[in-house]
Amino acid sequence: MSRVFWAIVGKELLSFIRSWQLVLVVLYSFTVNVYISGSGIEIKPRNVAVGYVDYTGGGMSQNILTRLHAPEFLPPRRFTSQEALSRAIYDKEIIVGIVFDPDFEKQWRQGHKSQINVLLDATAASQAYTTLGYLQNIVMGFSELDIPIEIASHKLFNENADNHTFMALTELLSITTMLTVILTAIVFVREKEQGTWDIMLLMPVNPKLIILAKSFSQILIVMGGIVISLGFIVLGIFSTPINGSFWAFLLLTFFYVWASAGIGLFIAAVARDIMQVAQLSILVMMPLIFLSGAWTPIYAMHPILRTVSLISPLRYYIEGTESIFYRGTEWIDLWPYFLGVISVGGIMYFIGFRKIGRLF
Amino acid sequence: MKARVIKAYILKELTELIRSRFIVMVYLMPTMILLLFGYGIRMEVLGARTLIIDNDRSLLSYRLISKFEHSKYFGVTVEPLSEAEALRRIKQAKTDVVIIIPESFEKRLLHAQTTQIGIFTDAAFPSRGITIETYVKGVILDAASGMNANLASGIIKINQRTLFNQAMRDEDAIVPGLIGLVLLVAPAILAALLIVKEKERGTIFNFYASALSKGEFLSAKLIPVFMLHSLNIFVLFLWAVYVFNVPFRGSFWLYWFASEIYLLISISIGLLISVITRTQIVAVVLTVIITIIPGFLYSGIIMPISSMSGMSQIEAHIFPVMYYNHILYDVFLIGEGLESDKTLRYLFILSFYAFVLLGLSRILLRKELK
Repeated sequence: MSRVFWAIVGKELLSFIRSWQLVLVVLYSFTVNVYISGSGIEIKPRNVAVGYVDYTGGGMSQNILTRLHAPEFLPPRRFTSQEALSRAIYDKEIIVGIVFDPDFEKQWRQGHKSQINVLLDATAASQAYTTLGYLQNIVMGFSELDIPIEIASHKLFNENADNHTFMALTELLSITTMLTVILTAIVFVREKEQGTWDIMLLMPVNPKLIILAKSFSQILIVMGGIVISLGFIVLGIFSTPINGSFWAFLLLTFFYVWASAGIGLFIAAVARDIMQVAQLSILVMMPLIFLSGAWTPIYAMHPILRTVSLISPLRYYIEGTESIFYRGTEWIDLWPYFLGVISVGGIMYFIGFRKIGRLF
Repeated sequence: MKARVIKAYILKELTELIRSRFIVMVYLMPTMILLLFGYGIRMEVLGARTLIIDNDRSLLSYRLISKFEHSKYFGVTVEPLSEAEALRRIKQAKTDVVIIIPESFEKRLLHAQTTQIGIFTDAAFPSRGITIETYVKGVILDAASGMNANLASGIIKINQRTLFNQAMRDEDAIVPGLIGLVLLVAPAILAALLIVKEKERGTIFNFYASALSKGEFLSAKLIPVFMLHSLNIFVLFLWAVYVFNVPFRGSFWLYWFASEIYLLISISIGLLISVITRTQIVAVVLTVIITIIPGFLYSGIIMPISSMSGMSQIEAHIFPVMYYNHILYDVFLIGEGLESDKTLRYLFILSFYAFVLLGLSRILLRKELK
């Protein structure tokens, strides 16, 4: 039995390596691609372009503006009139515009209520929100509020809220999902398309073994990519801290890749040719990736989607990975993630065995 | 040009596309993605799971807690836990933020002594962590300044006005960007297999042997997909305006025209991939890798391009999504239209892209055996 298993695995690996284009594409996605999104993408505000119109003649207003410094803000640009400022915001050159009214400083010195007018480009919603928070904090500092409350705030697990490691990791997880699903689905459908799949099933070998061997070969390829990506990019260049157990992560990854291969198997069972695989896998993967909690917390979603996301293995995997890498969660508290991933994988393989694993 | 031959070829392609039952996908996929994402992606953090440990249990601490309870940004539970237990909750990812109100909180406040409130935010998801932290601080400071009214003088108020999206609705900020993503991914993946499929099956020899020129062959591949997906431009528009209630302030003609050019680009990306790859599997993987993730990252949905740095900034300018999305946000939310030079410039850049991509496919396509 195991001889057949390894023969099939070997055959699939060989046909993978023979296609240099495919090897190149897979390597690119696991290395360069992960590096690019890790190095440049920041979700927290950075280099926010600020423009201002100052009708007061300096002093207090400049004092506030100097607090808007790098890396969060670009040096504020001066505009002579509010119209010029609005135009720049319309052209998306400026995200935040600040207007100081002529009597702003006078009001403030006399202890009256004074106000700053802030124009935000809300098409960049998350930037706008956080910039507003920054401004509020800065202004609060000037107001010399005499409150006897200190706030001791700690950001746990990631003190500087460093986004690079996080983005690199998220990208790696997304790539893993996409490649596993597509590679596995195509390995089966290619045979279906060429008609050799029926011959495989006619062989005196348990079809379950063939299915397991074929998907295992793709799991091996993806795991290889993950190890390369972890070694060179995630742990190498970005030196992501691992607060939990590395082996827990690898084990979880293995089960996750296995579950995604199950999804690929499911697609392969439904699709007839590669065109259909392409369409179906996009239809399945995009919700899987973007609604997994990597971009929006699950509890903030629409209730229906929240329920749907229960069947996404990526949901468990991402939370589990975050826990292992950043929160340093112990093995015992990781069981929900393992359970989630394994049960989704199990269901997918069960369906796959039934639908694709027999001739009639 | 042999118009009759091209017509026959187009007819053949169209029937092939329609016969594969998955023609439904051409219309189902964009709609489904738009609906799922439009409802699924939220930028503001609502209902952050907040655990408050109240060690004081006084009037003032209750008042502070009720401030949190009345905010839609927090989902509050108050439990008497030790710090270690609270930390474990965070590690199990059951809580996003822990707020600890110290003992004798009220007493010290009334005696005007400083007292310290502890906030522990889970920053495993950095941007969410920062947002939550800012919200919590805001609530506490707000509560504190409400406690004695005479503090109100001498405060600088921020009079904020948000442009284009007054209510700060997430739908308005996200849905136009999604159209740019969908119209990139769906046509590209449909077109990516058209030529490589023939290569793998060997039917490409029909083309080698036929009198059809390379340009004619490409247009015969391009036009059916183009026609089928053109309808999606209107479908997506209807979803955005009537289901998500995104305002439409610009000119519909500009939207239509820009979208058709953009469609041409995404189909050309697919065709180019189809021309350079040898097997269908590579074509699928390559299309997915270079459309989905960049389409999302560089669309301006999650971050404006101006805030990117280094390689990402360059890559964002390479992908056509950025230019199209600028126009999209303009027609939906801003309405400047062609009066703005930037829109006009971007429209030219888009046309240039379509031209270059199609030209490249034509150059790289072979019409004979190696």
